[in-house]
Amino acid sequence: MSNLDRWLMIPALILPAAASAPAFAVQYLSVEQAQKALFPGADQFEARPVALSAAQRSAIESASGVRVRTAEVNAWQAKQGGKAAGWFMLDEVYGKHEFITYAVAIGLDGAVKGVEILDYRETHGGEVQNPKWRAQFTGKKAGDTLKLDEDIKNISGATLSCKHLTDGVKRLLATYEAVLK
Amino acid sequence: MNAPVDAALLQPQPCAEHLRARPLLGTLVEIAAAGATPEQVQAGIECAFQAVEMVHALMSYHAADSDVSHINRCAFERPVPVHEHTWRVLAAAREMAEASGGLFDISIAPTLTQLGFLPRHADFPRISGRGDWRHVALLPDNRVRLMRRLRIDLSGIAKGYAVDLAIKALMDSGISAGRVNAGGDLRLFGDATQTLHVRHPGAPTSIVPLVELRAGAAATSAGYYTQRRHRGRMITPLIHPHTRAACGVERSVTVLAQDCMTADALTKVVHAEPAQAGAVLSRFNARALMLEHDPASGGCRIFDSGASDSGQARHV
Repeated sequence: MSNLDRWLMIPALILPAAASAPAFAVQYLSVEQAQKALFPGADQFEARPVALSAAQRSAIESASGVRVRTAEVNAWQAKQGGKAAGWFMLDEVYGKHEFITYAVAIGLDGAVKGVEILDYRETHGGEVQNPKWRAQFTGKKAGDTLKLDEDIKNISGATLSCKHLTDGVKRLLATYEAVLK
Repeated sequence: MNAPVDAALLQPQPCAEHLRARPLLGTLVEIAAAGATPEQVQAGIECAFQAVEMVHALMSYHAADSDVSHINRCAFERPVPVHEHTWRVLAAAREMAEASGGLFDISIAPTLTQLGFLPRHADFPRISGRGDWRHVALLPDNRVRLMRRLRIDLSGIAKGYAVDLAIKALMDSGISAGRVNAGGDLRLFGDATQTLHVRHPGAPTSIVPLVELRAGAAATSAGYYTQRRHRGRMITPLIHPHTRAACGVERSVTVLAQDCMTADALTKVVHAEPAQAGAVLSRFNARALMLEHDPASGGCRIFDSGASDSGQARHV
């Protein structure tokens, strides 16, 4: 029972708010590394950006059930020995706490071959909802991302839902069907 | 294998380290590994992700063709054969339910659906409302039968199991140090002692150092990212199996255990009845740390069950 007493009675210590670390960011892969990871056999990635028309945007929205926030589509065609191997699509999603850059590989059969996270950032408060805050990361190159505090990597926290990512993948599949296929 | 000292002198230091993340199990799964060559590390991480993907496919509540959905759809009518991995998780769930007097219970799925945390499946049969974990019968040859009309959800414990399998895949690939983190279910191995951080329950984007670990598993449950409004109050998907009421959002529970599946399941027991959790924790040789927001200081109060003889964990 002594165990139980301790459990119930003792707030073992009070951690001051000052011990909190600031919000953090992780870079997992650069665009080039993600391309290699998703299409290991490909020897060429041909940039094929698309600007969606209003009609295409609404077609994608009704096919996927997910809002299309930007007209830009960042797509590359993966090629192996000159032959098409599939599509590599780069995209961003954000929720209340997090801003994620990710890539989806679509195979020749039109199915998702894989999903890789490139960058993950989270913040205090509402910055993530602010387009200016997000814009500072857009178009950045490998290596010039924020530095994560080396010591903070083992975070056991409650599950962060990846619903925005799941929706993002749905939206990219519909985008592929509408403009790349 | 030579004595550890000789081995350390003879073997080259690991020169490759990689970190990857993919969306799986309804959260972000992060895998880190260090080894001799980049190729070895990449291959190890790939095997580890494949293990997680397999658990996802077998035990997802959302996917229509998972073992869990087959059980929920058909196992009241007839025994349903399941994969060996699913069987192991079901057996562990039963052991935890028995040890905790039902404070851990995989049959709370209908409550989670009612509260909007799990989707509705139109083709799942109606439930009777009178069944619990005792009515999930584990039959020979990896077959499962529901003795009452109920529905099961393995999400938390399956996530822990996926982390354990991924760690095994890394070890089997010859990785010298690794970490798998599935949205807070975390397990690591290697020579270095590392600090485990948890999120502040009152300000989840702030991170507080909690304990130091060299090897072992930790799981945290709290409502800060999953809470939702239901009939005017904020609720979490942490359900008390006896009352079927949702726990409040103010508290975070971290359990340190030998493996991640046990750690994840025990967080549910501690959330449901902190005062009764001591005996269950010691039975599984685990330790719980409960964090509560302290409005006066803005920091958090930590309650420690102590009593784990893991020895590797101590306060930072």
